Amino acid sequence: MDNAQLFGFFVVMGIATFITRALPFVALAQVKSHYILDLFGKSLPPMIMVVLVCFGLMSLEIESVARGGLSALAFLIVIILHAYFRHPLLSILAGTGVYVTGIQGFGL
Amino acid sequence: MKRVTGSDFLEALRDSAPVMFGYIPLGTAFGVLFQSLGYHWIYAPLAGVLIYAGSAQFMAIGLLAASVSYAEAFFATLVLNSRHIFYGLSVMSRYPARGLSRWYLIFGLTDETYSLITARPPESPGNVRYLVYLTGMNQSYWVIGCALGASLQSLFAFDSRGFEFCLVALFLVLLIEQVRTMSKRWLLAVALSASVLVYLLIPKQFLLVAIGLCLVTLVVYVRTGGEHG
Repeated sequence: MDNAQLFGFFVVMGIATFITRALPFVALAQVKSHYILDLFGKSLPPMIMVVLVCFGLMSLEIESVARGGLSALAFLIVIILHAYFRHPLLSILAGTGVYVTGIQGFGL
Repeated sequence: MKRVTGSDFLEALRDSAPVMFGYIPLGTAFGVLFQSLGYHWIYAPLAGVLIYAGSAQFMAIGLLAASVSYAEAFFATLVLNSRHIFYGLSVMSRYPARGLSRWYLIFGLTDETYSLITARPPESPGNVRYLVYLTGMNQSYWVIGCALGASLQSLFAFDSRGFEFCLVALFLVLLIEQVRTMSKRWLLAVALSASVLVYLLIPKQFLLVAIGLCLVTLVVYVRTGGEHG
């Protein structure tokens, strides 16, 4: 595949991605204020967030007890820090710091 | 997220910072892998500009290596990204009704951008500008990561192992934020059960099927008059 074809390949994949993101906006363009849209706006996001957290845990590829323990520790640190300080960056960086240190520094 | 005084730009910068720590290492990983195909490095950030979807771009490397047709690439991308269909449902009321900004915001609606947007109180002042900054910053982090990985692949000594936790932590923090203002918390148990079930049965289609189950539950709940009962 030459450079021009590669560019075309990206455009094709970009259009397909855009279609998946734009579909509800086009399909429901006439719906102005509807009870079910309100429900989707309020109740769907936390449900999707639960799914994304689970997906994130899957992507960590926990294959040993040590890695499982490290993941659980970092996970708890994020929850506890966020419950007390409610400062997103602090919670995220502290949890990630512990996880990265465990993996890179202690070979977990 | 808490509201603080300050410009939309600074607020977007602060809110998007966790995404930066996730997207730059992930984009770098894409750039390094992309270079195995042997193209000029500039095409890696170009993929980030034109496609802007993490999993689809990683899939693209495999598709390119296998020299598939445009049509195959098109349908494979539709299937892989089909979960995005559900995202628009929750952010529709926050997006501007028309204009270039509307279409850019739709283009840039990734998992992480969706999560940050839905964690904010609706109808905040300066909404559209904030949304455009936030979406643009997230895409910039991604494109920068792709460029770094592809251009410096051999020089790149940075050890990014473990940084994938950053995005898990981001989703977790945003979940905690959203749970605070949620009225029907039993729905979280539904989402967790759906996740465990799909993980055990069809892990390859995890996101699409698990999110689809959540949506079906909500629709059934409304249809059976749960709200008024």
